[in-house]
Amino acid sequence: MSATMTRGGALTGTGILLGLALRRDRIKLPAWTLIIALFVPYFATVAARTNPTPEALRRTMDMMDVPMLRLFTGPSYGTGDLTVQRYLIAVYFVEFLLGAALMNILLIARHTRAEEQSGRAELIRAAVVGRHAPLTAALLLSVITTAVLAGLMTVTAIGAGLPAGSALLFAVATAATGLVFAGVTAVSVQLTEHARAAAGIAGGVLGVVWVIRGAGAVQDTEGGGLTWLSPLGWSQLTRVLADERWWPLGLSAALTAVLVTAAYALAARRDLGAGVVATRSGPASAPGWLRSPAALSLRLQRSSILWWSGSLVAGGLVFGALAGSMRDGLATDFLDAGPDVLSGYLSLMVVGMSFIVGIFAILAVTRLRTEEVRGRIAPLLTTPTSRWAWLGSSLLVTAAAAVTLLALSGLALGAGAALSLGDGGYVGELTGAVLARAPEILLLLAITLALYGFAPRAVAVAWAVLAYGGFVRFWATDLPAALKALSLFDHIPRMPIEGFTPTPLVTLTVLAAGVTLLGLYGFRRRDLDG
Amino acid sequence: MTPAIETSGLVKTFGPVRALDGLDLSVGSGEIHGFLGPNGAGKSTTIRILLGLMRATAGRATLLGGDPWSDATALHRRLAYVPGDVELWPNLTGGEAIDLLGRLRGGIDAGRRDELIAAFQLNPTKKGRTYSKGNRQKVALVAAFASDVELLILDEPTSGLDPLMEAVFQEIVAGLKDAGRTVLLSSHILAQVEKLADRVSIIRQGRIVQAGTLAELRHLTRTIVEAETAAPVTGLPALPGVHDATASGARVRFSVDAEHLDAAVKHLGAFGIRALTSHPPTLEELMLRHYGNERHYGNEGHYGDGAAA
Ligand SMILES: Nc1ncnc2c1ncn2[C@@H]1O[C@H](COP(=O)(O)OP(=O)(O)O)[C@@H](O)[C@H]1O
Ligand SMILES: [Mg+2]
Repeated sequence: MSATMTRGGALTGTGILLGLALRRDRIKLPAWTLIIALFVPYFATVAARTNPTPEALRRTMDMMDVPMLRLFTGPSYGTGDLTVQRYLIAVYFVEFLLGAALMNILLIARHTRAEEQSGRAELIRAAVVGRHAPLTAALLLSVITTAVLAGLMTVTAIGAGLPAGSALLFAVATAATGLVFAGVTAVSVQLTEHARAAAGIAGGVLGVVWVIRGAGAVQDTEGGGLTWLSPLGWSQLTRVLADERWWPLGLSAALTAVLVTAAYALAARRDLGAGVVATRSGPASAPGWLRSPAALSLRLQRSSILWWSGSLVAGGLVFGALAGSMRDGLATDFLDAGPDVLSGYLSLMVVGMSFIVGIFAILAVTRLRTEEVRGRIAPLLTTPTSRWAWLGSSLLVTAAAAVTLLALSGLALGAGAALSLGDGGYVGELTGAVLARAPEILLLLAITLALYGFAPRAVAVAWAVLAYGGFVRFWATDLPAALKALSLFDHIPRMPIEGFTPTPLVTLTVLAAGVTLLGLYGFRRRDLDG
Repeated sequence: MTPAIETSGLVKTFGPVRALDGLDLSVGSGEIHGFLGPNGAGKSTTIRILLGLMRATAGRATLLGGDPWSDATALHRRLAYVPGDVELWPNLTGGEAIDLLGRLRGGIDAGRRDELIAAFQLNPTKKGRTYSKGNRQKVALVAAFASDVELLILDEPTSGLDPLMEAVFQEIVAGLKDAGRTVLLSSHILAQVEKLADRVSIIRQGRIVQAGTLAELRHLTRTIVEAETAAPVTGLPALPGVHDATASGARVRFSVDAEHLDAAVKHLGAFGIRALTSHPPTLEELMLRHYGNERHYGNEGHYGDGAAA
């Protein structure tokens, strides 16, 4: 190390910074890589379980080979001679590419721009550390992590029954996309002053190339011309388990090289802490309506609510539209549908929407905790705003948002189903079915709030409540009734496959109200942190 | 006059840490009260209890005649608070934050708001996440000063401000005093409190070790005397209350306890005084003595309380 120190170049100190980064991420990165790699056997098992016979697998694959679904999964290869492994690659490859890309986006943003934004980079750069050392250390960290990911994925893919050569190609192709997005983020962090914005730009690029790849797959099952314009497409164009070829990954490598070069060039042209794009200014005074804790809560959650609404509506439309292909028959254990496949599918989607809105509810309360520890609610609570008023109005805004999200996703699901099935009645039916699940979300929200009120450090336990509900609902359907009853999500009838009964709705709503009061009481009597 | 703030025997523990250890603080109405102590002494903890953000483990606190915990909402109508570490909402502009806090406090004087923004040279159109520490502090200061309240609680409010802005701050606080407002001003920057405060309480390890007017506190401590005399001074170190005497030729320098100043100067007179300067101790010296020599002064810690009543 002392040799690099004395040379005094732009890369001085890279080794030390890399060591620091590895130490800081010693939990995070192994977790990311391991979890992504374990999805290989997981998806393989799900595919095998839900399609126990070759005929079932064939039928599912044929059903998936419609333009709408190819947008999500394609392009795909070698599905003529279908195996579980080929099915795995054809249907799930994109998810691994997204995982590797996200891991690298967050990694680079965290170790470059977030450090500058927090001011820690200033301390570091004032030491004997070269101008380009932080970026280089971050990129090396991403190379190391991505290599580990590729290694693990090769092993798990072999475990899932892929030949060693194909497993390696699959893993390296995934890694190639990961590194492209390390490059994309290395550029985006030069552009803005804020890590979140930089990650957002890179995420936006990921979304765009995802769509381009999908559009190519809509053109042609094996990828049309558009697929060649997307880095995600390049990884899939290696045709894993068909007539395999490595050379499309050369495109990924070349693009990565170009992006990294651009990142260094931009970094050399800007000041520490500054962005290439200047930050916009906002209004000098608050709009008239921003005058209550509820208004503030709405203002703070506004963009998040809009984002959730957009995603749920898009998801609802797509899942609803798939109902048409379901009608033609897909009897699987997974859907637990009994004789009525279509209703089973729709009920599953309804329950799924409710779970997703549950994620929103927990995140909203977690956000309150962040506000607290960051010291942003002390200024509010030292105005005449009481703790009741602050937490109560935040809760009301979140509850109203959650119910709105349920309504929107029900509408979208219903509209999609109505269009694909040619029956307008589904709009009302599915909107009602999703909205009827509001009490379970309100109870989940109330429980999260009570945790926040009494044991703020344990708010994350709410995730276990949601996860237990998902486990019981989707995997452990033959659990004893008493254990099932513990789940929040097994009481409200699954419409449309089950009929409406009001009792559980009333019970859950009353419970939610009681637990909410308890949570408010807890918050009123505890010390504020931060 | 009823005190604006009164605590007795206030205790706050965080697990094994005893942040406040029987704190007795008294702040009169209409006074600027300096709340001085080193980092970790318990200033912020005291303030958070006074604001009802935390509950004391033991002891009693009264704020504007009410209970800081149970009457929090009613009391907060009458006060404004500036924390030491101001955090703003990342995607609200400074101007929006000022308006919001002002409105939650029951209204904001738009004219005064704009004056203050100009005085502090604050750009209100920047997003919260882009402000430096000093600018975040300015946002909180503008919001506090623009609201019409009787009590201001300021916790190290100028730790991020430059000297020019510090002067602006002092001018505004001096104006508040003329308007009859009460200010609790916590700080570890002694010069700041020295200029503004009517009375001072010094906190160390969760206790008030001394309280009183600056004059009273100075009275407690030593004066530094430098003199030039016709004949070399002898016998000085033997005098009661004289410390650190040094002589070089006709010049002497020593410090002397307040009650022995008279005798020491008379002693000098016998040698023919040519030049004499004396200066009172600065608050630094005052605190240093406390923290450096606790045993000596510990018993007299509440001297100022009696004298000021
Ligand atoms: N929430 C807390 N948890 C644990 N210890 C705390 C907490 N808040 C303050 N302390 C401790 O209490 C003592 C007093 O802190 P504080 O009141 O912030 O001091 P000051 O404001 O005078 O610098 C310190 O030792 C600090 O570490
Ligand atoms: Mg403090």
